[in-house]
Amino acid sequence: MSEPPLRDEPVISFRDVHLAFDRPILSGVSFELNRGSTKIVLGGSGSGKTTILRLILGLLKPDAGGIRVDGTEVGPLDEEELRDVRLKIGMVFQEGALFDSLSVGENVGYRLEEDEELEPEAIEERVREMLGFVGLAPFYDRMPSELSGGQRRRVAVARALAARPRIMLYDEPTTGLDPITATTITDLIVKVRDLDGVSSILVTHQLRDAFNVARTFVYRKNGEFVHNAIDDVSVLAGTEFLMLREGQVQFEGSAHELQTSSDPYIREFLS
Amino acid sequence: MRKTRYLVAGVARRLSYRLKGSVLAVQDYVVLCGRGLHALVTPPRYGREILAQMDSLGVGSLSIVVLTGMFTGMVLSLQSAASLDAFGARPYVGRLVCISMVRELGPVLTALMVTGRVGSSMAAELGSMVVTQQIDAMRVLGSDPIRKLVAPRILAGMVMVPILTIISDTLGIFGGGLISIFSLQLSWMYYWRSVGSALVLNDLVMGLSKPMAFGFILASVGCHTGLRTTGGTQGVGASTTRSVVAASVMILAADFFITKLLLILFPVNR
Repeated sequence: MSEPPLRDEPVISFRDVHLAFDRPILSGVSFELNRGSTKIVLGGSGSGKTTILRLILGLLKPDAGGIRVDGTEVGPLDEEELRDVRLKIGMVFQEGALFDSLSVGENVGYRLEEDEELEPEAIEERVREMLGFVGLAPFYDRMPSELSGGQRRRVAVARALAARPRIMLYDEPTTGLDPITATTITDLIVKVRDLDGVSSILVTHQLRDAFNVARTFVYRKNGEFVHNAIDDVSVLAGTEFLMLREGQVQFEGSAHELQTSSDPYIREFLS
Repeated sequence: MRKTRYLVAGVARRLSYRLKGSVLAVQDYVVLCGRGLHALVTPPRYGREILAQMDSLGVGSLSIVVLTGMFTGMVLSLQSAASLDAFGARPYVGRLVCISMVRELGPVLTALMVTGRVGSSMAAELGSMVVTQQIDAMRVLGSDPIRKLVAPRILAGMVMVPILTIISDTLGIFGGGLISIFSLQLSWMYYWRSVGSALVLNDLVMGLSKPMAFGFILASVGCHTGLRTTGGTQGVGASTTRSVVAASVMILAADFFITKLLLILFPVNR
């Protein structure tokens, strides 16, 4: 069932995926995510964006079609078999989904604690490193209820990154945040993409944040992170857009192709 | 005529939908219980969660169980004396209080009190975790919510409800003794001798197996209704109510069947 992934094989692929509950949610969705690249999934409410992430994680099963994650077909796997696939993926939920009863440090180290081979000192070191990465190092002992909305999302990013996943999924990570806080989150997404080479899918309906991720790149200079933005979207590579409309793929392509599309729905969405 | 047909068809469709929903809920409950029990006997086990649940369910419920047991024993003593006096059998009050508490009132009342306090909070806690995607996060982070959340609660219920019942029984019998001495003018010694001679093996089997089953029911129903929560915070409230009602009814129904079964397996010979 699980074969070693080929180097050029897409890290995630959807092939004609269908899913319906009391109404169709996804109808024939197909796309691929290449290694090290980012796919930004746009669409209105109820268009099936979050469902795509839940299908990748095996939290939902497709009615028809195939979903392949890093060489493994996830559709037929049971909960126990899915564990290995999920260990390769970091997920940032819409509101963070932090565990209320655990401190920030315990939340970030949650997956590492599950690994019985790791020593507590090694876990704490990694947790502190991750909290430093998202700029929340002093918050180790705080409880989630003491954090603001933006801080909760940053802790969620740290928790998702703690086990060094090769794939990151972000579900509306900036929804409900003010523009400045939203930028700190998009900067983190860019850092994870550019510095660690992690493949990622960003689900959002915030156009400003989507284009921020597409335009910005980051590199390390003298130990400092340097963020730069490119205004000419026609030269961007590695970040693609996928637009869903009522469970179907309305558009797939680059930022430039999206901006120059003549499709009336896309024009209205972007306006 | 056509309007009536549409109306009948609509009612039939709704009934069929509800019936399917109920069958599905029962199936889910059975699967959850099976997986919960399997998780108890296979690794990995979460010792910290088990201890936390035992503390919350056992130590946290101690005060209400003490008060319930004590007052039940006291009122039982008063009521039974009034009836026994008609036959000149007042000295048997201790025997009656003891048997009633150990076989029936201790297990049932303790379980119902713990259901109200802990079963509801289990449903509310797990329901909140469902609506805030914490359960999904747990699965994504490599934990099985059944092992991490359900199994410790079931084990805590099965261990702590019998212990609470023993405490409740003891205080009930003690309360009955106080009333016997200060209100019914029976001697302390005579009351305890009557209590001591009352218990047989069947009483102990019934008095300990019932609370274990009730503990399982209140924890599993609380977890099941919590994990099936839908509809945001309003759904959490509905789950909490449903959990208390369903667990209470199940405990009373199970009480009848367990009593019937144990009377067949261990006939009473006093």
